[in-house]
Amino acid sequence: MNPLQTTLLGVNLKNPVIAASGTFGFGAEYLQFFDPSMLGGISSKGLTLNGSQGNEGVRIWETPSGMLNSIGLENPGVRRFIAEEYPKMRAISAAMLVNLGGHSIEDYLEGAELLNGVDLDILELNISCPNVKSGGMAFGMDEDLAAEVVSRVKSLSRHPLLVKLTPNAPNIVSLALACEDAGADGLSLVNTFLGMAIDIGQKKAVFRNVNAGLSGPAILPIALSMVHRVAKAVKIPVVGLGGIMTWRDALSFLMAGACAVQVGTASFADPLAMPQIIQGLRLYCQSEGLKNIAEIVGAV
Amino acid sequence: MALILSNECVGERVFLMKLQGLRAAPGQFYMLRPQERLSAPLLGRPISVFDADEEGLSFLYHMVGQGTALLAAKRAGEEVQAIGPFGNGFRFADRDLSVIGGGIGIAPLYYLLKEWKRRFPARKTEAFLGFSLESFMVSAFEDVSGRCQVNIGGFVTEDAPLAPGPLHVACGPLPMLRAAQKKAEGNGAELDLSLEARMACGAGACLGCSCATVAGNRRVCKDGPVFSAREVLL
Ligand SMILES: Cc1cc2nc3c(=O)[nH]c(=O)nc-3n(C[C@H](O)[C@H](O)[C@H](O)COP(=O)(O)OP(=O)(O)OC[C@H]3O[C@@H](n4cnc5c(N)ncnc54)[C@H](O)[C@@H]3O)c2cc1C
Ligand SMILES: Cc1cc2nc3c(=O)[nH]c(=O)nc-3n(C[C@H](O)[C@H](O)[C@H](O)COP(=O)(O)O)c2cc1C
Ligand code: FES
Repeated sequence: MNPLQTTLLGVNLKNPVIAASGTFGFGAEYLQFFDPSMLGGISSKGLTLNGSQGNEGVRIWETPSGMLNSIGLENPGVRRFIAEEYPKMRAISAAMLVNLGGHSIEDYLEGAELLNGVDLDILELNISCPNVKSGGMAFGMDEDLAAEVVSRVKSLSRHPLLVKLTPNAPNIVSLALACEDAGADGLSLVNTFLGMAIDIGQKKAVFRNVNAGLSGPAILPIALSMVHRVAKAVKIPVVGLGGIMTWRDALSFLMAGACAVQVGTASFADPLAMPQIIQGLRLYCQSEGLKNIAEIVGAV
Repeated sequence: MALILSNECVGERVFLMKLQGLRAAPGQFYMLRPQERLSAPLLGRPISVFDADEEGLSFLYHMVGQGTALLAAKRAGEEVQAIGPFGNGFRFADRDLSVIGGGIGIAPLYYLLKEWKRRFPARKTEAFLGFSLESFMVSAFEDVSGRCQVNIGGFVTEDAPLAPGPLHVACGPLPMLRAAQKKAEGNGAELDLSLEARMACGAGACLGCSCATVAGNRRVCKDGPVFSAREVLL
């Protein structure tokens, strides 16, 4: 028996480690380093209905133990994704999560409807992108707006719905409860924290949009606390992420109540971060005599 | 982790590091990190392959900030994390070659010239190297190019004819690349550019390094870093 085997929203995962949206392309970028089929799942780059060229200017800025990004959801759009990327991504035998963003409720609905036409495993609704001017994170900042988009997408989509929350919400626990009430099948948290950087030489913000999204180990303790509080408050499954670099970090999120984790920025620092986390979790199960990793979920 | 065979200062804040057992094609780069995963700095530093031999790869780098300072402090016998090779590298064709390098932008051109000479010994090669204050590695370039012209403090793109005939390749600061692009276009010369961008992954996954081209955005790390001057919008 594989001690890491788990299920998420009724979908089988080989292990509870999922590549986070926007950090793993559409699954094929790290082929030179390892076979992505060994992952529990892969979440696609965030799609928007009509695609986008993303933001201009600086997009990446390293910070102490982390990084700011202002990619701005550069993506091919839902239709081109379905035609060009979906077949390749589906050929990878990890669970397939498609991350869907939007600028308006209509965008989300039309995107979700198009995605009904393909055989993905989980629809990850991104109401938390800090890097797009209209929509994006706005839907995740307001409980009523979040509930509306979640319930309308839920009633139309044939896929299990994972809603990705922003840590910038005024109260992430009440936001989580609002999404649960609105019909979310599960929650993933956190997306990036709003942050900024200033070029003191030029007396200007580094990013065109001034603010960008902070990720990486710098955010781990805050993300962990949010996951812990949300997992205690809701009954639906929670996927935890934010700054996970090692199997110990991943285990912390599982103990905090997440039934699976996502790993983002760590893959940039080391493409083998996820395979190593999976191996570390496997050895942990062995040494602790766990039949399944689920036994420690929510231990804290 | 890769073993450091040597790491020497070869100019004002310029270092040459040789790492054991890696392979790459000219124009490709590695993400170098001074230490293992958890310690700062978090992200790898994209550094081009300067040279290759049976023992491994050399990297020529300018000490500009935290990451390159930590690399410069390393000694032979220590290790660094070298992730790669990334990028497509330069194209090869049986014709003359003329390269233009500005400052540390000369780094990827040495291996290109060396390989060109080996593959097409009958072809002419020339190098135009520009430096703002002090030159470095010039004698190495003289060994691998038929002609090598150095410019200190001026505009290297004025020295280079950028005329039709040979393949031209340029690497260096953005204003230099723009000037080369403009001159090549005016002359109808064929020019390839090796670009820089801030990178997180180097692998094509984060879209942090997008550059605009006539055909939409391309990733400098995966679709480049070498692009035709005709396609990129600098
Ligand atoms: C494809 C490619 C090849 C390169 N080849 C070489 C080379 O052969 N030799 C060499 O000396 N330099 C090269 N560079 C530039 C080199 O990557 C930067 O000088 C280096 O990252 C600076 O790191 P730092 O920590 O010392 O500076 P810091 O300013 O402390 O770095 C902070 C962050 O900004 C990034 N950054 C800073 N300057 C640059 C830059 N010019 N380009 C990209 N990212 C930058 C760093 O990677 C880091 O994430 C190359 C860049 C690219 C994209
Ligand atoms: C470069 C980059 C691009 C991202 N793009 C997306 C995206 O398209 N959709 C999304 O939901 N989250 C996106 N994220 C957020 C990550 O999926 C993740 O929530 C966040 O980075 C925190 O996890 P980490 O610290 O492990 O990276 C992106 C993050 C980074 C660093
Ligand atoms: S650096 Fe990540 S896509 Fe190029």
